[in-house]
Amino acid sequence: MPPREHLLKIGVAGIRGVVGEFLTPSLACSFAQAFGTYVGGGRVVVGRDTRASGEMLMHAVACGLLAAGCEVVDTGILPTPTIQMYVAATRAQGGIAVTASHNPPEYNALKLFNAQGLFFNTYERAELLDLYHQSDFRQAPNEEMRRVITDYESAPKLHFRKVLAHVDAERIRKRKFRVALDAVNGAGAVTTPGFLRDILNCDLEAISVDPTKPFPREAEPRPEVLGEIAELVRRCHRDIGFAQDPDGDRLAVIDETGLVLDNDDVLALAVDAALRRLPGDVVVNLTTSSAIDDVAAAHGRRVYRTPVGEANVVETMQAVNAVIGGEGSNGGIIFPAVHLCRDSYTGMAFMLDRMAETGEKISTLAGRLPKYFRRYGKVAFQHGRLGPLMQSLEARFPAAQNDRSDGLKLLLPEGWIHVRASNTEPLLRVAAEAKSEEQVEKLYGEVLTLFG
Amino acid sequence: MAGEAVKSLRISQVGLRGVVGGGLTAAHVLDFASAFGTFLEPGKAVIIGRDPRASGIMIREGVVAGLLACGRNVIDLGIAPTPVIQHTIRRMDAAGGISIGASHNAAEWNALKFFGRNAIYLSTAEANELLDIYHLKKFSFCEWNEIGKLHKEANALDPYLDELAAVFDFNALRQLRVVVDCCSGTSALILRRMNERFGFSFILINEKMQGVAFAHEPATNKDMVGLQLAPLMQPLGADAGFLFDADSDRVAFATEDGTPVSEEMVLPLLADYQLPRGEGKLIITNVSSTALVDEIAVRHGGEVVRVAVGRQAAIDALSIYRPEQIALAGEGTGAIMMPQFRFVYDGIVSMLAVLSMMRERGRKLSGIIGAYPKYSILKGQVPLVTHRMPALLAALRETYADGRASVVDGLRVDWPDRWFHVRVSQTEPVVRIISERRGEAPRELHDAVIEQVRSFA
Repeated sequence: MPPREHLLKIGVAGIRGVVGEFLTPSLACSFAQAFGTYVGGGRVVVGRDTRASGEMLMHAVACGLLAAGCEVVDTGILPTPTIQMYVAATRAQGGIAVTASHNPPEYNALKLFNAQGLFFNTYERAELLDLYHQSDFRQAPNEEMRRVITDYESAPKLHFRKVLAHVDAERIRKRKFRVALDAVNGAGAVTTPGFLRDILNCDLEAISVDPTKPFPREAEPRPEVLGEIAELVRRCHRDIGFAQDPDGDRLAVIDETGLVLDNDDVLALAVDAALRRLPGDVVVNLTTSSAIDDVAAAHGRRVYRTPVGEANVVETMQAVNAVIGGEGSNGGIIFPAVHLCRDSYTGMAFMLDRMAETGEKISTLAGRLPKYFRRYGKVAFQHGRLGPLMQSLEARFPAAQNDRSDGLKLLLPEGWIHVRASNTEPLLRVAAEAKSEEQVEKLYGEVLTLFG
Repeated sequence: MAGEAVKSLRISQVGLRGVVGGGLTAAHVLDFASAFGTFLEPGKAVIIGRDPRASGIMIREGVVAGLLACGRNVIDLGIAPTPVIQHTIRRMDAAGGISIGASHNAAEWNALKFFGRNAIYLSTAEANELLDIYHLKKFSFCEWNEIGKLHKEANALDPYLDELAAVFDFNALRQLRVVVDCCSGTSALILRRMNERFGFSFILINEKMQGVAFAHEPATNKDMVGLQLAPLMQPLGADAGFLFDADSDRVAFATEDGTPVSEEMVLPLLADYQLPRGEGKLIITNVSSTALVDEIAVRHGGEVVRVAVGRQAAIDALSIYRPEQIALAGEGTGAIMMPQFRFVYDGIVSMLAVLSMMRERGRKLSGIIGAYPKYSILKGQVPLVTHRMPALLAALRETYADGRASVVDGLRVDWPDRWFHVRVSQTEPVVRIISERRGEAPRELHDAVIEQVRSFA
C-alpha cells in the first residue's frame, strides 16, 4: 500500500488541510459555526497568518461565527500567541487563528482557543468535534446578528508589554544588540521588526519581512532551511539571529558564528532563564533532551514529561503549575507568566536578556549546556504492526526503564530511545539521545535494525 | 404539506431566499456563492453589495469566502442599492454580481440575487445551470496560490448618478417638492447624495438605515403608502410622494392631495411616459397586471406581451426581442425596467420618470392619474392543495368556457371588460386569485371563482 497523504484532517486538533479541493470554505464555515455554538455566542477573536488562503478562510470563519450569533473581532495578520493573549485580555468567549503554523503554504488550518486564550483541552475538543458532526448549530435570526469589528493595533502592544515584564528591557536596549531576523514573510513580518528594533533597540538586519509575499523557505524553521539567515549573521557580524515560523509561535536561534542552535538547547537556555527568575517546575515532552533535566536539577527543580503535542504539555503545565515548558525538537518555549502558549517573542527576549545579563556570546551560553547527542528519524509501518515492534524493542533492552505514555520510551544508562506513531502520517517517529556520538548512533542503529 | 417549513427557505431559478437562521443558513450561502464562482466565466471580478439587514454581514462574509475560493476577485460596495450594484457590474465590466438583500420582504428574511454579464438577472437556462452546480456541490475551488482578493469600492453612487443625470433633466426635476419614505432602506443613500450633489430637495422620512427594525414592512403597495407617506403630502405641500423597498428596485407613490395610489398604477403610468418617447413599442408584463396597461398601449400604438408571473419569465421574455423593440418591462408590484437603463429594475429611475412626466405635461400627479379610465382590481388567496391544482384549473376553464383562456401561468380568462387569473404563488403555499374590471369591481365573478377554488382546497 502506498503511503496515504492526509490532505484533510478533521479531528480533535481542529481542522487542517490543503486549501482548495480539500479544505473548503464551507468546511471552515461549518467548523466556525460549531465553535460559535460551543462557546455560546458572544465575542470571538479571529486572526491569521500570511498564507494566500488566509483572507478567504477568515471570511468563511467570520460567516460561521456570525451565523451562530457571535460578534467577530478581526485582528488581521498576527502571530498566534499574540491572538491568544488578546483573547484572554479582552474577555472574549474564544478565538480562532487561521494558520497551519509550520506546514507548507498549500495547507491551512483553524487553531481554536477558549476564553482564557488557551488551546481547547482534550474534553473541550471532543465536545466541539461531536457538535460539528451533529451539525446541530445555533442559527441566529436577524435580530441577533452581530457585527465584525476590526482591531489591528492593540494586540501586539499587549503581547510585548507582557513579555517585557519578565526581562530587564533597559539592560537589553543599552547593549544595542546586532540582530538578524528571518520572519519567513509570515505573521512575524508584521510585528517582529518593531519588537526588536523599536522596543528592544536592536540594530536589525531583517529578511523575509514582507507579509504579502509567499514563504521564501520551508515554513518550519529547521536548521537545514535556515542557510540564508545563518549566512546573514556571518556576513553582517550579528550577535544573534532569530528565525520564526509563519505564525510566530516557533523560534530558531542562530549563534554569532552562523550556527543554528539545537532547539533542545534553546529550550534549555530558556528554562535556565526562567528558573533564575521564578520558582517552580518544568514540563517537556518525552522526546525533549535530558539537558532539561540537568538544567532543572541545577536549580533544584523537577521535570515532568508528557506525550508529544503542545496541548499535552500545556495541560500538564496547568496541572503542576509549571514555570516553564516546551517541546525541544519543535522549537517551542512556553512561559505561562506571559501566556500559556508557545511564544517566539518570549524566546527572543530571554536570549537577549541572558546575553545582556552575562555579557557572554550566545555560543558561549549554549556551549555551557550539558552536551548530549541526538538522532531523529522516521520509519514507515503498517497499522497493526506497532505493538509487535514495541515488544521486540522492549525485549532487546530488558534492563531499560519504560515509559508507555506515548509510544515507548526506553531509559538506558547511556541515554534513551523514544518510538511513537505519528498523529498525521502512517509513520513511526524514532528519537535517540546519548552522552556521546558513538552511543547515540549505536542506539539509533539498533532500533532501525530491529524494525527492518 | 407543512406550510411554515415551505415558507422559510426557497432555492429556485430566482436564487436563494429564506428566513435567516430558520431556513437560510451560512452553509447555503457558502455553497451558493461557490456555485456562482464556479458558474461564471473565468477571469473578471464579481461585484457584491447588500441592503441594511443585520444578517447581511454574515451573508457577505460567506459570499466573499466562496467567491475568493473559486479564484474570483471580489469588489464589495458595502451597503448599496441593487440598481447601483447592477450599474457597477456594467461600469467595471465585471463577470457578474450578487445583491444580498430580501428587497420587499420583512427584516428577518434575506436573499441572494445573481447577475451575470451586463448586470442582467440570470436567464432560466443560466439559473438552471447554477442550480445544478449548487446541487452537485462540485465547485471549482482553485489552488491555494490562485485564491482571489477582496477590494472595496467606496463610491459607486456617483457614476450611477452621472448616468441618470445624462438621461433626466435634473435642473427641471429638482424644482419639484418630493417626499420619500425610505423605509429604513438603501434609497436614502441615493437621495441624500442627489440633494447634496445636484441640489434636489427630497424630504426623506424613515431615512436612517436599520438592520433589524424597519420603520414598517418594506413592501411597495397602497397600504404601506397610506401608512406614513400619504398623510404627509398636504401638510408638507408636496408635489408627489414615493415609497421604496429595502434595496430600491421597487417603488410605489402617493399624489399631491394625499391619495395613496395602487401599486398596479406604476406600470401603466410609466408605459404612458415611455411609449411616446422611443421606437420601442412592446410592453412586457405578466398575466396578473392591470388591463389599463393594454388600453394605454393601444392609445400609443404599443403592444402588451403577457408572460408568467415572476422575474424569471420577464427576463427570459426580454431576451427574445431586440432591445430597441421594447418600451418597458415590469410587474404590478412596482418593479419596472426601462431600456435606457439596460433593463434593471430600478425604483429611483421609475420615480424620476414619473417626475419627468409631471414636468413635461405641466400637470399634477392626481390629474394625470385621474385622467385614466377607472379599473377596479380584487385580490384574494386560498390555501394550496398542490395535487388538486390540475383538476381545479380544468374545472375553472370549463366553468368559464365563454371567455378567452390563457394558460401561460395557471389560468387567466378574459372578456372584453373583465378578466380573472388563478395561479399558484411562487413564494407562499397559496393559490392567488386576481380579478379586474373596467369600471366597478367584478365582485360577483371574483367571489364565484374563489368559491370554486376553495372547493378544491
